[in-house]
Amino acid sequence: MSQVAAVRGDVRRAIGREAVREAGAGDPGWLRARREEAWEVYAATPLPSTRSEEWRYTDVAKLLPLDGLEPAGGGAVRGAALPDPLRRAMAQDRESAGRVVEVDGRVVSVELDDSLAAQGVVLSSLRQAARRGVGDIEALLATRAVPASDGKFSALNAALWSDGVFLYIPRGVRVEQTIRLSRWVSRPGTATFTRILIVAEEHSRLSFVDEILSPDFDSATLACTVAELFSRGGAQVQYVSLQRMGRGGVHLANQRTLAERDSTLDTLNVALGGTVGRVDLNARLLGPGANSDMLGLYFGDANQHFDFNTSQDHVAPNAHSDLLYKGALDGRARGVFRGIIRVHEGAQGTDAYQTNRNLILSDEAIATSLPNLEIEADDVRCSHGATVGQLDAEALFYLMSRGLGREQAERLVVLGFLGEVLSRLPLGGVVEKVTRAIEAKLGHV
Amino acid sequence: MNDSPVLVVTGLAAGVADEDLDILKGVDLAIRPGEIHAIMGPNGSGKSTLAKVIAGHPGYEATDGSAELNGEDLLEMEPDERARAGVFMAFQYPVEIPGVSIANFMRTALQSRLEDGEELDLFDFQELLMERMELLDMDASFAQRPVNDGFSGGEKKRNEILQMAVLNPALAVMDETDSGLDIDALKVVAHGVNTLRKENPEMAVLLITHYQRILNHIVPDRVHVMVGGRIVESGGPQIALELEAQGYEEYRKAHAA
Repeated sequence: MSQVAAVRGDVRRAIGREAVREAGAGDPGWLRARREEAWEVYAATPLPSTRSEEWRYTDVAKLLPLDGLEPAGGGAVRGAALPDPLRRAMAQDRESAGRVVEVDGRVVSVELDDSLAAQGVVLSSLRQAARRGVGDIEALLATRAVPASDGKFSALNAALWSDGVFLYIPRGVRVEQTIRLSRWVSRPGTATFTRILIVAEEHSRLSFVDEILSPDFDSATLACTVAELFSRGGAQVQYVSLQRMGRGGVHLANQRTLAERDSTLDTLNVALGGTVGRVDLNARLLGPGANSDMLGLYFGDANQHFDFNTSQDHVAPNAHSDLLYKGALDGRARGVFRGIIRVHEGAQGTDAYQTNRNLILSDEAIATSLPNLEIEADDVRCSHGATVGQLDAEALFYLMSRGLGREQAERLVVLGFLGEVLSRLPLGGVVEKVTRAIEAKLGHV
Repeated sequence: MNDSPVLVVTGLAAGVADEDLDILKGVDLAIRPGEIHAIMGPNGSGKSTLAKVIAGHPGYEATDGSAELNGEDLLEMEPDERARAGVFMAFQYPVEIPGVSIANFMRTALQSRLEDGEELDLFDFQELLMERMELLDMDASFAQRPVNDGFSGGEKKRNEILQMAVLNPALAVMDETDSGLDIDALKVVAHGVNTLRKENPEMAVLLITHYQRILNHIVPDRVHVMVGGRIVESGGPQIALELEAQGYEEYRKAHAA
């Protein structure tokens, strides 16, 4: 082992300027400058506190010892054997048109169907794409969708990201099978920063499944992810995030979808794992006829804490968005949903809906639901609704009166309750995979 | 045919759980294999409470007496244990279970009747389900619908009959299954029950109803009149006709506290 490596093994790296420089080593000048600027924003932005409305129920200062975390960004080796849980999760997937595997913040493999590559589809490690300056990457990375100015963690991610995915679908190319990202975080006490940038050109089609897994950790371990999703006129994009980290995992996800004229940009967020999961999802309807279905499913037990902060920004007239988030909470789990529909001035003919439903399975689980509307146009159809309910005693009796034991009856009710979300996005393999994961979790409840 | 009773209810008193007042005030009833017994009575007479106490509804509590199924003490059992022992109650208000298909529900219900570690053969199950649906003139797609979710009143009752057909109980308790049904739906329910009895002549039926009209389609062996939590008269099917003509008023007066 070399001298340098030995030193690095002894001295823990920390989140700071030095880490920003390390992350940017080998980057082109524009990107190094962007990282430095992002770091300045990070340094100048206070940590979100529970005094702010958007973070009222998630106390980051308490849940995440940022100063003690070591930025990940190495260690993963191309060609090394993948850990068993990741291989099992990958084996459950149906056929894919392409797949990226990311380990501890570094892309270790990229596969793409030759026919798609021949049509101009680009699937790449984000780091390499940025270094090569592929397409519009300089114009689109951490600028229009999730810039550093978006918040403390967006800034930190923009400064420290180590890798991720760049995916470009040319005009008119329809990717019939799913493209997948399989991520693994292995090292306790680390902070991983990664980004996804997807551009679907006019009339193209894509479904993308982003799955993150990890073992259980005995100390808080951060995966901070950003997804920047662009659908150009008439494109159809589905983005699915499956969060199945182990206990101790803290997932902070910032997703932004920019849907242009007549395009569809649908999302599904599934949160089953980790100890803390926070998703900030902002859907922007930028062109007339744009459409975003926003689905979410969470199932918490023990001390799991899930916080969804969603917004539907209707900037253009005659666009449509429909949000459905459903969660089941057992043990001492906490679920927070805060959603806002913003209909901007001039966005006439907006159709926007928002529904959050929670099923409470224990006396100590808590669900908080805060739906909101902000409307500055007059010809709109909007609705929002939220429910927090317990397992219906009459439903349990009905099922038990056919012979099902109490636990079986509860399982069936929970699966049915959450299954409604999956039935709205019948994407190859996702329904089965998530159902199996919920069933496995129900087995432990 | 085995002649010892399927259901024996003796001196059964029961009321709403955690409330002192008994609704049932000493009910005696014995039903033999293959028999159909109807219990008729005005609203509030306790007839529906009897059904719920037999099925084990957690909102009701037996305070005295006993109820046995083939010699086993029903009152000691959880609702699921009663179901596995052979009790089936067709609900007056079947419950909606969104996202759970009828097929999945029935598969789970049959699986629950197997020993630990034993797996229901899915092919056999599918065959059974199809065969039962055919028997009841139901479309195969019905079983793929979520349990009672968005069903019409008639569809809900058909679903109860289908479940009864799949689970093949020793005792079927029909809790006012006929209420709120138009005559066509009523005929479907009656046809279902009669068909199942042809298939399984041992099945005992306890039919709880406010109205005589279902008894034109399901002919009872015995009719009991319940008033004020007690069975005040028992006899052949002609009692139902008398009731239809006279109404419950006479019984009410005769048995007023």
